[in-house]
Amino acid sequence: MEALVRMENVTKEFPGVKALDNISFDIMPGEVHILLGENGAGKSTLMKILSGVYQPTSGKIYLKGKEYDRLTPKDSYDNGISIIYQELSVINELSILENLFVGKLPSKKVMGMSLVDYKYMNDKAKEVLEKVGIKRSPNTMVEDISISEKQQCEIAKALVSNADVIIMDEPTTSLTTSETEHLFSIIRQLKKEGKGIVYISHKMDEIKQIGDRVTVLKDGTYVGTRNVEDVSVDDMIKMMVGREIKGTYHNTESDDLSKEPVIFEVKNISRKDRKVNNVSFAVHKGEILGFAGLVGSGRSELMNAIFGAEPKSSGEVYIYGKKAEIKSPYDAIKNGLAMVTENRRETGFLDNFSIKQNISIVPFLKTSGAKGLTGLVDNKAENEYAAKEKADMNIKCRDVEQNITELSGGNQQKVILGKWMAAESKVVIFDEPTKGIDIGSKSEIYVLMRKLASEGKGVVMVSSELPELLSVCDRICVFRDGEIRMTYDISEATEEKIVKTSTGE
Amino acid sequence: MSENKVKKQNQNFGVLWQRYGTIGIFLLLLVVLTIAKPSSVFNSSSIPQILKQSSVNILLALGEFFAILIAGIDLSVGAVAGLVGIFSAQMMVAGIPVPVAVVAGVLFGTIAGFINGMLVNKTDLHPFIITLGTQSIYQGLMLVISKSQNIYGFPTSFTATMSASVGFIPVTVIIALIVAVILWFFTTKCKAGRNIYALGGNKDAAWYSGVNVKLHTLVVFMISGTCSGIAGIVLLGRVGAAAPTAGTGYETYAIAASIIGGTSFMGGKGKIPGVVVGGLIIGLINYGMTALTIPSSYQKIVMGALIIISVAIDHLVATKK
Ligand SMILES: Nc1ncnc2c1ncn2[C@@H]1O[C@H](COP(=O)(O)OP(=O)(O)OP(=O)(O)O)[C@@H](O)[C@H]1O
Ligand SMILES: [Mg+2]
Repeated sequence: MEALVRMENVTKEFPGVKALDNISFDIMPGEVHILLGENGAGKSTLMKILSGVYQPTSGKIYLKGKEYDRLTPKDSYDNGISIIYQELSVINELSILENLFVGKLPSKKVMGMSLVDYKYMNDKAKEVLEKVGIKRSPNTMVEDISISEKQQCEIAKALVSNADVIIMDEPTTSLTTSETEHLFSIIRQLKKEGKGIVYISHKMDEIKQIGDRVTVLKDGTYVGTRNVEDVSVDDMIKMMVGREIKGTYHNTESDDLSKEPVIFEVKNISRKDRKVNNVSFAVHKGEILGFAGLVGSGRSELMNAIFGAEPKSSGEVYIYGKKAEIKSPYDAIKNGLAMVTENRRETGFLDNFSIKQNISIVPFLKTSGAKGLTGLVDNKAENEYAAKEKADMNIKCRDVEQNITELSGGNQQKVILGKWMAAESKVVIFDEPTKGIDIGSKSEIYVLMRKLASEGKGVVMVSSELPELLSVCDRICVFRDGEIRMTYDISEATEEKIVKTSTGE
Repeated sequence: MSENKVKKQNQNFGVLWQRYGTIGIFLLLLVVLTIAKPSSVFNSSSIPQILKQSSVNILLALGEFFAILIAGIDLSVGAVAGLVGIFSAQMMVAGIPVPVAVVAGVLFGTIAGFINGMLVNKTDLHPFIITLGTQSIYQGLMLVISKSQNIYGFPTSFTATMSASVGFIPVTVIIALIVAVILWFFTTKCKAGRNIYALGGNKDAAWYSGVNVKLHTLVVFMISGTCSGIAGIVLLGRVGAAAPTAGTGYETYAIAASIIGGTSFMGGKGKIPGVVVGGLIIGLINYGMTALTIPSSYQKIVMGALIIISVAIDHLVATKK
């Protein structure tokens, strides 16, 4: 059988880094080819060469047997390659329908004139939206849909063009378990139709479930290609990280956390929009409190209200027993409360800032006065923050002066974690903190969270990945329809119980 | 291989353009002018003349820079400058001491900017709409206050100071440079300046990082208003009279100077020194066209073309990566 795509000896150099060194890779019809590797290994770069965003420094690409030195986005599209990028690229100001066809409006000839074929667009949109499971009118504005729907919208976008090769760069970072299941059924269908799929993910269980072959990259070099059924998860981790990763990260210092002093307490928080109703919880010293629930259950809305980013209609927040008046993120920072937000591109990093500036912004605001208006930029302190977080968070970059958009997705996430660590906060809320983070770094983040907790800081973690919650948290609150329905101690928590409580069955 | 080379050259051009584009345009224009009419460049009054023509532009562009930096715009800068001129002129004619009239005028500009900022914050409308509206309002006020008459006859101490020079550098240019240095310090060394860049880059991420978006937006428009106020005073001193339509259309020059000076229309990118050179470019164009006896109507055409060309090159460079 002939490969749909074959890349041979591809090398890509960015100023100062060799992102890819002599990589060969192919995609067969009807297979799911997993691309695995740590943050910054070069996965997205390799795929961007296929989609025509980047030009390789050297190497050859064969599409349906035809040889290319480099591809333009048009070559790529014309050869039936479509890509779901790692960072959501849907445009908030457009409708779902417009997003699906952005840059490739279908046309029809009417009396010799080329007109936009709205009927085709509408029919096709209905078809793919149904396929991916978005139950919304195609005319809904994208800014009004949830983050998981946006991700489904990205998937739909890749399907409208009837591509032969579909590249999915971490498509499930914002999807729930059932939405992921749904995506897998779509993928199985695509396989049957003989399409080739490249699948990038840091979630090892997904790889086992959906993959046929796996290619591992490490620091831009090729490690190997295997059949997924021939290798265990541990083998794959070893290929990609070079060591084994195992274990849990629970509290081991205290016998009964409920007897420890309360570090962080939230009382009767409600929102006007009724997305959060009368929620109270407390975090004890040494404890990591988890929040489980379906996407859209109101967990992020709760955290946003606590953090002051969105208004609350009532409720109080106590930090180390002291009442904190929080009406804006600035107030939160001043009171020692930090929040790692869920959506890295929209609320996480500043794309016009360097790594260094992205890190220093929070500690600078914390030490400023008059709501951020007074105070001078301290270059020495800034360099120190950046150097410390680069080392602590293990950020892979050439230089902290680099623009943050030059980093791989996972490393951008580490910069965001770093900026909140630099502020030396007393309480940290982590909303989906390991999104797009490789398995080795994930365990580093869990260790970091545990370290914060044992230093006496309050740690709250919102996550849609149950295994992660179960291996890190000491107690888990299950959220449904804007309320905490149940709180499980880790000793009694199971995936099954949590799923049942969160769906309300 | 050869295509790769082309690509590399493209990238190099991008880097060069971003770093030296503004100064390059300036030198290019200077060379063109020198070739077209050497005598206009090689004479003792050319530099002071160019500088003088530039000072008002530089001041207005400095204010405009901040509005564009937050991905907004301030269309009222020219109107505010004109209104401040009328306001201070009337105070001086009424016998109020010059320093008081000058300070009050500048403060008046600050207040006009404050009003712009408040309206933007309260309505959540794009600054384009708000300042288009206030531009018209401020221009209307000028006509009302001046009763559509020119105002002149100020103390000579004022006009003499404003047209004096230190060495060969006109006082008005020194004023513009002092403002530029203060704002350069503000943007590079003050946390508030850093916050404004953050706000321009990504408003939501800035908010979640602790930047008070509305407060900083207000500050931006107050800076813009203050710069326009100072420009109004400089204009008044240079012309020696306050015309009821003074400053009309100056926002185009201010926007052109900021953009040619490397400020990104998308927000979050740009530097004060670039804006100063941008202002000088506008001054040079005006001077050169006058020297070549090209009618002023053509100056507008050239200015418009320059705005489009420099934004287009910026856009190409940004998307070619
Ligand atoms: N535009 C760019 N300029 C400079 N360096 C870049 C650029 N894009 C990527 N890199 C570098 O190339 C390397 C590979 O990045 P890439 O995004 O391909 O990693 P990845 O495997 O997708 O990682 P992740 O799992 O974190 O998404 C990194 O070291 C990154 O810093
Ligand atoms: Mg990636």
